[in-house]
Amino acid sequence: MHRRTLLQRLTGLFGTLSFVRTGSFAQAGVFTQKQRLALIDLASIVLPSALGKSGFEEAAMRFDRYVREYHAGADTDHGYGFTHVVPKPSSPFAAYADQLSSLPMPVTRIAVEQALEKSQIKELPRTPEGKSVIADLMSFYFRSSEANDLCYRAEIGRDACRGLAGSERAPSPLRRSG
Amino acid sequence: VPTFESDVCVIGGGITAAMLAKKLLELRPSLSINVVEAGRRLFDLENRMEYRRRSIIYGENAWPGDFIEDQNAAGTISRTMAVGGSALHWGGTCNRFSEEDLRLKSVFGLYTDWPIEWHELEHFYCEAERRLGVSGEPSPLPEDWRSEPYPMPAMALTYNLIELKKWGAKSGIPFWSTPQAKNTKPYDGRAQCIRCNTCLICPTGARYSPDFTYKQLISHKNFGLFDQTLVRRLQIDDRARITAAVAVHRERPEEKIIFHAPVFVVASGYTWSSHLLLLSQNSRFPNGLANTSGLVGRYMCGHKFITSIIEIDAKIYPGMNETHALISRQFFRCKPDVPYVRHDLRIWESSTGREPRLKAKNGVFLLGDDLLNDWRLRAQRGAARVRGYYDVHPDRNSSLTLDSDVKNRWGDPLPKIEHKLDEATVARQAHTSEHFNRVFENLARNDNGRILNTSEGRYLDHPAGGCRMGTDPASSVCDSYGRTHDHENLFVVGSPTLPNAGCTNGTLTFVALSLRSAEHIAKEFRSVSKS
Repeated sequence: MHRRTLLQRLTGLFGTLSFVRTGSFAQAGVFTQKQRLALIDLASIVLPSALGKSGFEEAAMRFDRYVREYHAGADTDHGYGFTHVVPKPSSPFAAYADQLSSLPMPVTRIAVEQALEKSQIKELPRTPEGKSVIADLMSFYFRSSEANDLCYRAEIGRDACRGLAGSERAPSPLRRSG
Repeated sequence: VPTFESDVCVIGGGITAAMLAKKLLELRPSLSINVVEAGRRLFDLENRMEYRRRSIIYGENAWPGDFIEDQNAAGTISRTMAVGGSALHWGGTCNRFSEEDLRLKSVFGLYTDWPIEWHELEHFYCEAERRLGVSGEPSPLPEDWRSEPYPMPAMALTYNLIELKKWGAKSGIPFWSTPQAKNTKPYDGRAQCIRCNTCLICPTGARYSPDFTYKQLISHKNFGLFDQTLVRRLQIDDRARITAAVAVHRERPEEKIIFHAPVFVVASGYTWSSHLLLLSQNSRFPNGLANTSGLVGRYMCGHKFITSIIEIDAKIYPGMNETHALISRQFFRCKPDVPYVRHDLRIWESSTGREPRLKAKNGVFLLGDDLLNDWRLRAQRGAARVRGYYDVHPDRNSSLTLDSDVKNRWGDPLPKIEHKLDEATVARQAHTSEHFNRVFENLARNDNGRILNTSEGRYLDHPAGGCRMGTDPASSVCDSYGRTHDHENLFVVGSPTLPNAGCTNGTLTFVALSLRSAEHIAKEFRSVSKS
């Protein structure tokens, strides 16, 4: 795909998500087109190839939406057993934007590994935590219901409301299982 | 000073208050009832799908605004303070205790007996199940007899649970569907479960939560709900009758609010019930109200739990319905002539040990297909989370005390809970651990099982106590109806009244006992309320 065509497509894709409920929380920044391209490029390296080009774009788009709808200061779950009231930290947008801008284009595996080493991330975060855009994009995808389906090659639909009927059967095989 | 009068003033707006108030109004529609709750009302079912989405994606609190920043207790297991209480976000598990829980002293020579007969409690269990809307499958064990069927058919076992049930049965332990307050068909104006896998925030209302009851109650002309209103003290007259609850509104902290009633019911859960009584000191009751025995805030109880993750050959698909479990009550009983151990046994699907990871064991980063392939390799075999909640008994000094070093904005000392087990419980701990190891090993013998890890819970779950019931005023705070020995018009209901917490989830028992209290209060209202 030509870059201009891709940019036009991206404008359409990302643009559709611009009207989101933000409540009383401050709106995080918006990635530049260059940063969005870097995000897609990054997705093509750190996410499964089974997603294909459109899947990388979609994953990047969802992550972009995640960043834009992030609510700094929102209450997190206060826990059970040992309780803690911890608000969501400040928006990761600025850190992500800097990190995306500093990635070489096209993004290479070596650059990704070096950036991960530098960030000293040892494990896949439970949820994106704002330290590394690479680890957080991976966490965002691999912790998702969609990735769970891909791993098990089955339409489990963990985060969907699926009804009770048929739950006694094994989930259907995933149509696109990679 | 704003002053509100009613026939019954209920302090606390959780599940037991909801059930008690509803039943009281059914039995005596002419009674006026005020419920006073420190937290706010969260009656926005229409927003719960969005809260759920944000909870999944961002880890945000699925019940925004359900706690009070400066009203916390050290040692509590949940911060929730809102209309509906902890049952806003409960899993809906509705297990009954067993008769042994009520007869520890007479059958096993341990701890104490309850001042109530099992047959009577069983009657109120049935009522609690009807009111909450419990879907369940009867236990196959004759000791678990029930006088009425469950109101709804059991939650369907998923493919995962069917596989795990087969696995469990190979070890000779029967497992079945855990009863839950979740609709397997439309019930009581609420929808059928659509298996969203996020029962802690049910976006459809298929899982019971008390906000539904409160929404019904507030349409009753004789019912008043005062949320964001923190009761700080109870006041008495010269005959030791409670005359008033003195409160503040959290948004108007300087303004005192008074609630008068001939009957007061403290339904503030295992933490805040004892706390309020201890705070309500006066010259006649310098150690707090209802506390002549010195037992308010004592015998704080709960049960311990031990969890094992067992890997098996069966194919398990994590995420089919993670909050639903299998249960066995085989170990609810214990012969009196063998070392004592009683517990339930639960099995959930699990993904432990088979989550995606960023680095291989050799330290190499796993990216893209490498990560997926590594994940798939580790996920080939299934995993089960097996847990037993086991019976432990509190020491007298298992306590809730006022912590003078930590105060809320009104200067009231906040509670501190420190659990302590009695000597007999401590003495049998090693045997209990050995017993569980044998149970887990027995399960793991089948389906090429391998125990990945076993861990002890680090807190007492499903806590209760602090105002235990009994017949003797020297060794209990209230009678079996929750009526305090010291104050004829003051009742405590729900979890605080339990002498011990059994070996399974307690909510159904809290509700059953509260319904029994409601019946008693309705019947005795005239004599209790007479001045």
